[in-house]
Amino acid sequence: MLQGGSVQLLCLTASSGVPLFCRGATRPLPFSIIGSLNGVHMFGGGQGTVLSSCVTDRGGRVLWRVFHDTVVLIAVSSQESGAVSELRLRRLLENSWNAMVLVLGLDELASARNVERLKRDLRSCYRLIDAFLEGEWDGMGDLMHCADCVVPLQPALLQEVLDSFAHAADSEFGCLLTHGKIIVATEKWWRLAPQEVVLLSALVRTLDGTISRDYPVFLPQGSPTVPHRLLCFQLLPGLDVCVLCGPSPSLQKAESELVVQFWSPVIDTLHGCLALRDRCLPSSVTLQHGILGLLLINRESRRAISTVHLWAGAPADVPLPARRRELLRALYTLAITRYFLAEDAQEEHRSVDGLEEDFPAGFSHQPVQFYLATDECKCFALQTPQHQLYLLTSVTVPTFALRSLATRTLSTLLSHTGF
Amino acid sequence: PGSLVVLDWHRCADSKEHFSRIQRRNVRKRFGLLEAPVLRPLLAADTVSYKIFLSGKSGVGKTALAARLAGLPVPSMHHETTGVQTTVVFWPVKLRENGRVLFFRLQLWDCGENTLRRFDHLLPACTEQADAVLLLFSFTDRTSFDDLSSHLTRSSSPSASTVRLVVGTKFDLFMHTDVTERELREFQQAWGVPVFRVPGGAGAPGVAGLAEVAPLLDALAEHLWHRDVLAAQS
Ligand SMILES: Nc1nc2c(ncn2[C@@H]2O[C@H](COP(=O)(O)OP(=O)(O)OP(=O)(O)O)[C@@H](O)[C@H]2O)c(=O)[nH]1
Ligand SMILES: [Mg+2]
Repeated sequence: MLQGGSVQLLCLTASSGVPLFCRGATRPLPFSIIGSLNGVHMFGGGQGTVLSSCVTDRGGRVLWRVFHDTVVLIAVSSQESGAVSELRLRRLLENSWNAMVLVLGLDELASARNVERLKRDLRSCYRLIDAFLEGEWDGMGDLMHCADCVVPLQPALLQEVLDSFAHAADSEFGCLLTHGKIIVATEKWWRLAPQEVVLLSALVRTLDGTISRDYPVFLPQGSPTVPHRLLCFQLLPGLDVCVLCGPSPSLQKAESELVVQFWSPVIDTLHGCLALRDRCLPSSVTLQHGILGLLLINRESRRAISTVHLWAGAPADVPLPARRRELLRALYTLAITRYFLAEDAQEEHRSVDGLEEDFPAGFSHQPVQFYLATDECKCFALQTPQHQLYLLTSVTVPTFALRSLATRTLSTLLSHTGF
Repeated sequence: PGSLVVLDWHRCADSKEHFSRIQRRNVRKRFGLLEAPVLRPLLAADTVSYKIFLSGKSGVGKTALAARLAGLPVPSMHHETTGVQTTVVFWPVKLRENGRVLFFRLQLWDCGENTLRRFDHLLPACTEQADAVLLLFSFTDRTSFDDLSSHLTRSSSPSASTVRLVVGTKFDLFMHTDVTERELREFQQAWGVPVFRVPGGAGAPGVAGLAEVAPLLDALAEHLWHRDVLAAQS
């Protein structure tokens, strides 16, 4: 049905099935297939059932979801890309809808009286939606709904500058990012819904190339009908600071009067942050050889560090970084859909579609650790009430040593980063 | 205006050092807000900053022009711009009169035409204290050309001293052109506003070289400097 390896996203009006847009894949699906995909979903609706997903015998997947009785989003993954998980597609649907609300606001989407106009307006969401479709991004926030973070060398200093900068810009919401990963953010920023934090990080990442921005945003959870202004400044290429504001200050005023004044005194620290892009951890944190990748999640604050660039002198026969990233995503997906199904995630599923079977059928208990050994790598995952740690190691690490490696890594990370 | 700055200075040998501060191996350097080109003390040049507003219909090519002038990859697809975005172009200029070199820091203000209509605060943000307005029209869109006159009458704002230039985009698609040379000449005469063609063209995604962008950037610098000289005299 689709070109190899591709995921395609379709958007149609919920009431009449008029196609609004279609993203991803080099060649869009033929109109007749789009019509059938929507038709079968509508048919289900007519019978009092909700069709939410289906799998072909060769691993292609289709997911449907109606948002606010307004639009239906359909995610289609090709058969050749059998590795695309249901979780990834479900998140794609949520993130895409959130992106549409972010840019256009709920009112405009819900009151779509004029379809042609809506179609045109939706074009301004493409860049953000494409960013979620690509999957080439080296973070994992889109999948986890936790914010991708890096740990700077001097967090307290940067936090202080950010807080006073935001305050001077009449805002309580400020965030400093490098390549779309959060270095520090104000306390209020962390009180935004996790999906919003992820969405705003993705937005800032797509704005790269421009030096400042005044971007009207609707917050999908917090303020879906009243726009705020996201002021975004590129301090250094690859390093941005942004604040959420009301009517003042103007972009020009904030830029000319505040940016240089607050940030140039710490320019060296900022340069240091650029180096965190891949490793995400300061070089003072040393971890044992053999670790190909790790993902650390703080479950309470919904923040995460993920990196596949830890082992500088890794031998040539280990998987390359891009592949490690895939493996880490797959490990997380496996854990979250099989073993670590957290209470809140369970509830989320239920409230979202109310359809999922209570999974861990067969388990009356909640696993806290598991390991996997494949011919490509070994994996170990553990969770505590506060954290989850996922480790990807080379096959040369003895299986019996995985657990102690993981617990030691966790305590090293926590003591050095206060994460 | 017309005689204050050395045109095509980037071709002259004595400009090498200065241009090497804005590009390396034919790739333009990028600067954050906290950065600027750094020169050896001997060559130190003053930086003069200007705010340039790009104005024109949706799809006419404002975002593409900003990217081209900044030496960034030009998107081949039209993604409507949401809100205001600014891009900074550093451009070294040599004054004819005394051989003095200046770095022009041109901040291009680009706002998606459709969001301009949805949010009231954006247009004032762009025009407030703008030093120049580039009015864009597309050779493939007749109405965008016809609209120019009304824009020019209206835009005695932001202020009388604002530099105004007209830039025609998509000239590479001349096969489909809706605007003739003669009309352009008549327009220039009637309004006394210079008309430029968008550099490069060919709609080619990719990055513009200095030679492509020099005519427009030199002209912009010339007009801005001329304005400043007049202001200083009065
Ligand atoms: N062939 C050709 N195409 C161009 C040229 N300039 C722009 N385009 C194309 O025209 C389309 C629209 O250009 P944009 O720069 O995105 O338009 P815009 O004026 O910023 O539009 P809004 O943001 O909606 O206001 C893009 O697909 C560009 O690639 C040109 O000189 N030649
Ligand atoms: Mg644009």
